[in-house]
Amino acid sequence: MMTLITELFLMPLVAFVIGLFMVLMMRKIGARLQRRVGPPFFQPLIDIIKFHSKETQISHGLIHDIGIIMAVGGYIAAETLLPVPGMDGIADKGGIIALTYFLMIPSLGLALGVGQCANPNGSIGISRALTAMLAYDIPFVIVIFGVSWHYGTTNLVEMVNYQQANGWGIVEMPILALAGLFTLQGIMGKQPFEIYVAPAEIATGPMVEMGGKYMGGLFIMQAFQFYTAGVLYTTLFLGGGENWPTFLMKIFIVVSIPIMIAYMFPRYRTEDMLRLMWKWPVIAGLIGLALVMH
Amino acid sequence: MTLLDGLILLALISVLVTMLGYRLPVIGWLTSALFAGQLLVLFLMSGLGYGGDTIHSSVALSIFGQPLSWRFDALSWFFALITIGAALASSLFAAGEWGRQYRQNGGNPGLLQFSLALNVLTMLILLASGDLLALFIGWELVSWASFLLMAMAGGAAFSWAMRYITYATGGAMAILAGMGMVYQMTGSLQYADLMAVAGQLSQAQVVILSLLFGSGFAIKMGVLPFHLWQAGAYAETPGPGTAFLGSISSRMGLYGILVVLVQLIGLGRLIEIDISFTWLSLRDLLMWVAAITIILPTFTALRQNDARRLLAWHGVGQGGYMLLGIFSATALGSSGGLMHVFNHATYQAALFLSVYAVVHRTGTADLNKLGGLVTRMPLSFLVMLVGIIGLAGIPPMNGFVSKWLVYRSLLIEGMPLLFVASVIGTLGTILSVYKLIHNMFLGQLRAEHSEIREAPWSMMLPMLVLSLIVFITGFMPGLALDWVAAAQAAVGLPVLQHSLGGVEMEQGGLDMTWLVAVLFAGFGIGALLFYSTGKTRHVNQLDNYAGGHFLTADVRYHYSDHFYAGLMHRIGHWYRESFQWLESVLISLTGFVAQGASGFYRIVQPALLMLVVVVLALWVVR
Amino acid sequence: MSDLKQIPVVAKETGKERTNPLANVFDELIRFAQARSMFMLHYCTGCGAIELPPAMTSRFDMERLGIQPMVTPRQADILLITGYVSIKTLKRIILTYEQMPSPKYVIGICSCTVNGGMYWQSYATAKKLNEYLPVDLYIAGCMPRPEAVIEGLRLLMDNIKSGKSEPWKDYYQRYDYYLGNQQHLFGDDWQTPTDIIGEAEHFGLMGPETEGEHTRLLQQHQQPLEPHKMRLK
Repeated sequence: MMTLITELFLMPLVAFVIGLFMVLMMRKIGARLQRRVGPPFFQPLIDIIKFHSKETQISHGLIHDIGIIMAVGGYIAAETLLPVPGMDGIADKGGIIALTYFLMIPSLGLALGVGQCANPNGSIGISRALTAMLAYDIPFVIVIFGVSWHYGTTNLVEMVNYQQANGWGIVEMPILALAGLFTLQGIMGKQPFEIYVAPAEIATGPMVEMGGKYMGGLFIMQAFQFYTAGVLYTTLFLGGGENWPTFLMKIFIVVSIPIMIAYMFPRYRTEDMLRLMWKWPVIAGLIGLALVMH
Repeated sequence: MTLLDGLILLALISVLVTMLGYRLPVIGWLTSALFAGQLLVLFLMSGLGYGGDTIHSSVALSIFGQPLSWRFDALSWFFALITIGAALASSLFAAGEWGRQYRQNGGNPGLLQFSLALNVLTMLILLASGDLLALFIGWELVSWASFLLMAMAGGAAFSWAMRYITYATGGAMAILAGMGMVYQMTGSLQYADLMAVAGQLSQAQVVILSLLFGSGFAIKMGVLPFHLWQAGAYAETPGPGTAFLGSISSRMGLYGILVVLVQLIGLGRLIEIDISFTWLSLRDLLMWVAAITIILPTFTALRQNDARRLLAWHGVGQGGYMLLGIFSATALGSSGGLMHVFNHATYQAALFLSVYAVVHRTGTADLNKLGGLVTRMPLSFLVMLVGIIGLAGIPPMNGFVSKWLVYRSLLIEGMPLLFVASVIGTLGTILSVYKLIHNMFLGQLRAEHSEIREAPWSMMLPMLVLSLIVFITGFMPGLALDWVAAAQAAVGLPVLQHSLGGVEMEQGGLDMTWLVAVLFAGFGIGALLFYSTGKTRHVNQLDNYAGGHFLTADVRYHYSDHFYAGLMHRIGHWYRESFQWLESVLISLTGFVAQGASGFYRIVQPALLMLVVVVLALWVVR
Repeated sequence: MSDLKQIPVVAKETGKERTNPLANVFDELIRFAQARSMFMLHYCTGCGAIELPPAMTSRFDMERLGIQPMVTPRQADILLITGYVSIKTLKRIILTYEQMPSPKYVIGICSCTVNGGMYWQSYATAKKLNEYLPVDLYIAGCMPRPEAVIEGLRLLMDNIKSGKSEPWKDYYQRYDYYLGNQQHLFGDDWQTPTDIIGEAEHFGLMGPETEGEHTRLLQQHQQPLEPHKMRLK
């Protein structure tokens, strides 16, 4: 029991630290691709501290606050559902379906908070973000189905065990893994699928009224988001975590792929994103599914 | 006199009291008390919900040599619990200030209470039916009682109610035809006799029987393609009536399907029947109908600009999950489908009531004319928030548990496309409910709404209790799953082994108590982080970034209309006029089926009355 | 008051000496974070904007100093005003400035912000920006090169780190002065949606000159913008 409680505290903390490194990696990769030096080592953490140390901050009401609390708290809770080397947390209580829906709680919280801000840019951003979710979640659930069918379980711990005994999922389900990678781009909300942020057009959409610790909370959320995406994909296809060094290598490589793609693309309009997401990853997912299930 | 007699007698007394005393100012409270009494009797019968023996009524009749009997088993008890609970919540909502305002606006709250009581009575009679003839009588009573509730507002409501009764009569014809077939085959209308021969029926007979009964009951349920009456008819019903209809009324169709298709004929027979030139069995076909029932109405709901219509369309769509779960015929899936009946009733009633609380204060349910009400009606917002999380099927509310059970069973059964279809429905629901809560409660508060107050306590109480139930049965789904398991046993479905937190399984179960506890612990840490740093100051909504523009109160900048512009750009043209086309096809088809059914009808009972009613009704609707 | 050094900064209230040695370390850390993470909102009115992209991109790369462009005032720490400030623009600049969360810094780039530059004789241009807003730093030149911009930002960074750059408090503590200048330009009915006096009270930033004759004038015809408090009754 004590170990479980320790794990429940440790897992979000580890996720946050790793997530910060992933944010740093994203910014470094972006900088290097643009032939810049990029931010210093502690930049992601410094940004968060800075935001939380603002002296005058405005709130648009209680729901604005609760939105940020839900966004951060929801991710903190979700991290305990993701098994990492040596720590399973409560991964066996939920499984992949519960996790997928758990990850909607932070987004819902954010959406509520943005709604309370009464800024049309924010609302447009949320409407686009939800549409984007509708776009990428369809191929994503196909992937989830295929993976769970292949492993015969929805329990993420069991999936890791299976892969460590029988080889990685990416080898056995390459097409599904490809479709999963495609949707990862959408899940992480990076270019070319970041129309809902669109800084120059709708002033960063959901973030438009977020300053101070509100924005700081969203930066924390971003760190969690990257970590979650990386670990989820690694758990589904790359054999999960055997030990920390290989696990870290895997998740950083997984996260770096969408990031590298992101910095080479402008963005798609919402409707084009829908078409793209409902076409290629869905086709790939269905083919992969057919191969898995035949 | 058994408890069942007592229950029905009490329901009858409620009807009589409301009929005689509908002018009394306290009739609302009186009816609520009577409903509470019925609920109490139901609790006395709660042994049924935990696997107790069937309770028979001491009343038995015989018509044309056909014995009629009534009884309550676990399934009836489960549905009756939801029915009376929904009626109590609706009646309580209407009892206080809502009723007064309704009277001032020219409505008759006593009549509303009477209709509610009548609906409950007829539903109890239907749920208690112990043979097919009693089932049919109950069915007709329920149809006409709901017609009364739908039509009582007059005007648009009446024409929608006419549309409903047209469909319902068609459905009744189909059921009657099915009964005629059963009678020819077995010479009796007893459940036991049909059950005994179900194994020996030819495939053609099973197909015809399930189509006749299935479509008859599916009309009430609003299953595609018989769904077109439902959203309009429910949305036009006055206030709490909508909540009652939306939460339970259409599930009577599901009860019929459970009794006839699942209990009597048996899903095993449906699985055996392959449809030529496809890989589908009859059961698969029905599951696909259910899946389409999830998707199309949900995406129709997405387009609605009236909060009541939006919810009513979701009511149609959510019915698909119940069917999908039940037709999966597994312990997991059918428990998900059955539990969804309960869950849907709780959150749908809460949602409708909170919408009507807003309508009570603002006078409109138009999603383009509201906004920012969270500061004025925070409790209604809370109720709606809990409701939409339940409706969208996101943890920690109960809607997630039942949907999870359905997904999980589809996963185990290896039905990927149905799985994807049901998730698409959930995603569409999330989009649509966010639009609902955003356009009503978030965003800019209109100047004309700045003096609005929270709904009175008489209205808040049922809403808060309902949302509490939504949360608690999400946190501890085992509470509801006990009843579901008993109901499963009663209709002969495999019974789900469950724990208080959900399902424990080798290949990935669910434990909601842990998940919800950890979730709230996460929120706690988030709140600690948030509130321990930096002081904030609340500002007016006009202190807002608008590219350096000075916002003023007279400019409306709430982003509400055409909320999902990008999505509609892609899928908007898929809607087109297809629904109107479908409806016109259906109306002709109903007439056609009605004619065919009347053939059977003439054989069984020489009366053309029904046909006349259908023709007349069709003529009115056209 | 054009000289920055003349701006009196009201000291922190005495009697609240930090006894905890860790508290100073904590303050130091926060100042370090504030100095090394500066998100800027550039309000580019005229020609000066063209010097910023090179400062941000591969040639000079501001991000290595922790400086990033942001798009809304809520997210920003630095308000970067480039080019001439017409009176109409100035209203928006003040609105934008007031919407930023403190600590916030204003940098005027180009000569036009210093003294109107080549628009000195224009009737429609605000000449000295620091009469209307507490400017931390001017980067003069027509136009200053990216090197100069970055040099200015580094100077600001040093000021923040050493705790010297607190003119944003001045805006709260001498609001009457700034408001007077604004009223002089925009007329007596000038009002922004942000209630500076209320904010100063809320965050304990009131100074002796927060209120005065100009704020009294404001309060006479101010349409109060109270927040919509959540209420049950």
